[in-house]
Amino acid sequence: MIEKEDPIISEEEAAQYDRQIRLWGLDAQKRLRGSRVLLAGLGGLGAEVAKNLILAGVKGLTLLDHEQVTEESCRAQFLVPVSARGQNRAQASLERAQNLNPMVEVHADPGRVEDKPDDFFLQFDAVCLTGCSRDLMVRVDQLCSQHRIKVFCGDVYGYYGYMFCNLGQEYSYVEEKPKVVKPSGDSSDGPGAKKAKVDPNETTMVKKTASFCTLKEALEVDWTTEKAKAALKKTPVDYFLLHVLLKFRTDKGRDPDPQSSEEDGELLRQIRSDVLDALGLSASLLNDDFISYCFSEMSPVCAVVGGVLGQEVVKALSQRDVPHRNFFFFDGRKGHGMVDYFGPN
Amino acid sequence: MVQLVGSLRKELAESLYTCKVLVVGAGGIGCELLKNLVLTGFKNIEVIDLDTIDVSNLNRQFLFQKKHVGKSKAQVAKESVLQFCPSANITAYHDSIMNPDYNVEFFRKFMLVMNALDNRAARNHVNRMCLAADVPLIESGTAGYLGQVTVIKKGLTECYECQPKPAQKTFPGCTIRNTPSEPIHCIVWAKYLFNQLFGEEDADQEVSPDTADPEAAWNPEEAAARASASEKDGDVKRVSTKEWARSTGYDPIKLFNKLFKDDIMYLLTMDKLWKKRKAPTPLDWTQLENKASPPEESPASGLKDQQVLGVWGCCQLFKHSVETLRSELREKGDNAELVWDKDDPAAMDFVTSAANLRMHIFSMNMKSRFDVKSMAGNIIPAIATTNAIIAGLIVLEGLKILSGELESCRTIFLNKCPNVRKKLLVPCVLDPPSKNCYVCASKPEVTVKLNVQKTTVLSLQDRILKERFGMVAPDVQIEDGKGTILISSEEGETEANNSKYLSDFGIRNGSRLQSDDFLQDYTLLINVLHTEELERDVEFEVVGEAPDKAPPPQSNPEEVNSITNGNKDSAQPSTSSKAPADEDDLMIVDSDEEEGAPSSSATVTSGTKRKHSDLDSDKSSTKRPRTDPSAAAGDEDDDIIALD
Repeated sequence: MIEKEDPIISEEEAAQYDRQIRLWGLDAQKRLRGSRVLLAGLGGLGAEVAKNLILAGVKGLTLLDHEQVTEESCRAQFLVPVSARGQNRAQASLERAQNLNPMVEVHADPGRVEDKPDDFFLQFDAVCLTGCSRDLMVRVDQLCSQHRIKVFCGDVYGYYGYMFCNLGQEYSYVEEKPKVVKPSGDSSDGPGAKKAKVDPNETTMVKKTASFCTLKEALEVDWTTEKAKAALKKTPVDYFLLHVLLKFRTDKGRDPDPQSSEEDGELLRQIRSDVLDALGLSASLLNDDFISYCFSEMSPVCAVVGGVLGQEVVKALSQRDVPHRNFFFFDGRKGHGMVDYFGPN
Repeated sequence: MVQLVGSLRKELAESLYTCKVLVVGAGGIGCELLKNLVLTGFKNIEVIDLDTIDVSNLNRQFLFQKKHVGKSKAQVAKESVLQFCPSANITAYHDSIMNPDYNVEFFRKFMLVMNALDNRAARNHVNRMCLAADVPLIESGTAGYLGQVTVIKKGLTECYECQPKPAQKTFPGCTIRNTPSEPIHCIVWAKYLFNQLFGEEDADQEVSPDTADPEAAWNPEEAAARASASEKDGDVKRVSTKEWARSTGYDPIKLFNKLFKDDIMYLLTMDKLWKKRKAPTPLDWTQLENKASPPEESPASGLKDQQVLGVWGCCQLFKHSVETLRSELREKGDNAELVWDKDDPAAMDFVTSAANLRMHIFSMNMKSRFDVKSMAGNIIPAIATTNAIIAGLIVLEGLKILSGELESCRTIFLNKCPNVRKKLLVPCVLDPPSKNCYVCASKPEVTVKLNVQKTTVLSLQDRILKERFGMVAPDVQIEDGKGTILISSEEGETEANNSKYLSDFGIRNGSRLQSDDFLQDYTLLINVLHTEELERDVEFEVVGEAPDKAPPPQSNPEEVNSITNGNKDSAQPSTSSKAPADEDDLMIVDSDEEEGAPSSSATVTSGTKRKHSDLDSDKSSTKRPRTDPSAAAGDEDDDIIALD
């Protein structure tokens, strides 16, 4: 799907992307430059991902959001001007997003993800969903992975956030490894020898593959098996927190709202018990602490999750470096960020 | 259920409204940090940065656009932030934080100071100012995919200088001048050469063959005899390189033949050097010119800068750059000096060509201009996402501090890959202050080994007090019962002392020097340990720098990486024409790139001084983080006890 690479990189690109080309190499930069990405949801997290991808230098980024700008949106993200209240959020974010990097084609689409026909998604190399319901994410993930489109999902709930990715069943990438310098066989090389020295810092690119499961599979892990129960001890509880928050979103059609913190807190408590019960797990797995800390999208948490998510998209588009497989969970209270795999082995 | 304002508890949200915070630096981390602060609800922010915007900043410093190139970072950052948060109260200073205007009283205005710096000198300074003002400081750094955040609070945690940080890497003179074995040696040589020819001549930046090389084990009389036997300049040292170059009118071909033919032939006469090493092969301009094949078609793909030139290509580049630099020099007038700047095309061309020619002479594979620039300019690769993550973590630590939850503050490491405990972000408990810290201990003292007869007062001031001990404007008194003033921070007062030796003032073994930096509210007592046996090229040594914790077992150098804290030559901004270096600083970071890297639960001992000298390291490129056998970043898991 990545467009035929234009071999020439312009002076302007070389100058602007210098510091990142020195990190991930010219090849990776060229692949980025040939990639088109769809980003759904321009809330706090969406804006961070948009910024990161635009700065990275993708070919095109489509901002898809049907929501309207509210007073809260202005506080939540930095792309929407304060004067844009009432406008469509994607369209209101367009100008500032474009100004981040004129070399990227940024589009705004005021539509709904759920209304988009299947072939809408086929024009993209990667799709990134934020603020979507569980069912919608599962559906889009299913569709995209069938067409070898890379799928990313992410959300921020107060101090907590997660990222999920599905890069397909056979994802190939390269990893840069230091070149193993073979000792020269002829140790009697005197001053007469003609061989040039090998720079000890030379590296080589090693090809690797990895396999990813669907979001559906990832969310529908069976915790009643012996194996799963044994693994539970090492399992980040954030995974279960995610289930709770996704259920809240499905049931209420929105996320926990600080304006109704009392009722929403109660509901979260209830959902927590229901979800864990349905999974055949003890309710004590997830204690009450999270309840007061999962409201609204916290800006620094959006920055962390958006940074990790953005970098994963860059890695996947450039097919370089080991991808995080397949979830990243961030707990802003504890300060830890964990990567773990959920799904069939 | 607590009352919430957005994600935050009401009291916290309200305190953000009134508190004042300071952001030091408006670059990679700074831009992201300012954005996070205003979106989180901080209302009163002051930001300071001495730098101006460069096009290479635009891949990550998102508050700046192309039209802003050349303008003040602090100023433009403020304007951009106000665009999306007009109600924020932001004060921008286009200035250096080391300016004495920013005294302890200035720092006391703030509830929180956050560093977003890229050099050690400024970090040391802010560390001291925050200790003096007793204001919590959040320190951070990034390099490539790695990053780190930590909290510094006087009396509660380690200060920035509690753990010794690895010193800037240097190479011995004879390696640079006689026996280079890696590209970096040739690049350093080329930079020295630039200064000798076009810039400020420095006695420590000699480029001519080192006749006093102990390895050559030479008899000086023999040296003279050999010298006169070789073709051109007999005494390679009598005439300064610059004077000689001037005398030839900076003729590129004459310069070429001296540097790449005559001097090499001279080195060849020092035959002991080449018994176990491949000998260099001198170049001859005319021969190369005659052999030159037509230039290769430049490949369609790739950056022009990433091509590796052939030898004749280097010769031509050398000639052109010398000619350009020569005119630049003439334009500036008599006694003009150029300052090396990686962003100056001719200067960069000069170093690229000179370094490559030398690499070729010493049988090394030549490097592209792109790679040479990385090494010569100390460029640290940087991207937006790493900075975004770190800046997010900074604000989260800040919120803990403002909530009075200091005990929940952590040092957090951002790795490239998750560790064995699945952590990509690894929080670690903060360490208490080091009792032996020469900055935050109650009466800091240190012992310095030097030769009192060979160390000048100026050296003491610049190399020891300023460079090594981070003072900005030191005052030094000798504890000799008379309180003799050796150095005064007032301009002109003790200038006459500069070129005198310490022994001239009666300083000897066991003498004590009281050094103060009044701005930093810092007093350091220096015990002088006289010695006549220092390693070659070493002017002084700080004694007893063993960190509090026992050094961890030597690990595979590839398992644990560390990144230096700053080898900025001066406090000059990275993109100004004066600054030689451009780098994002970082404290020690654990990077588990190797499979199965043990994620021991030892707490981090950043900056553990290594026993073996850097010279032995075979890591020459500054592109890669240097190795350091400090412990892997520990885990915070409650059920794991931190081991030393």
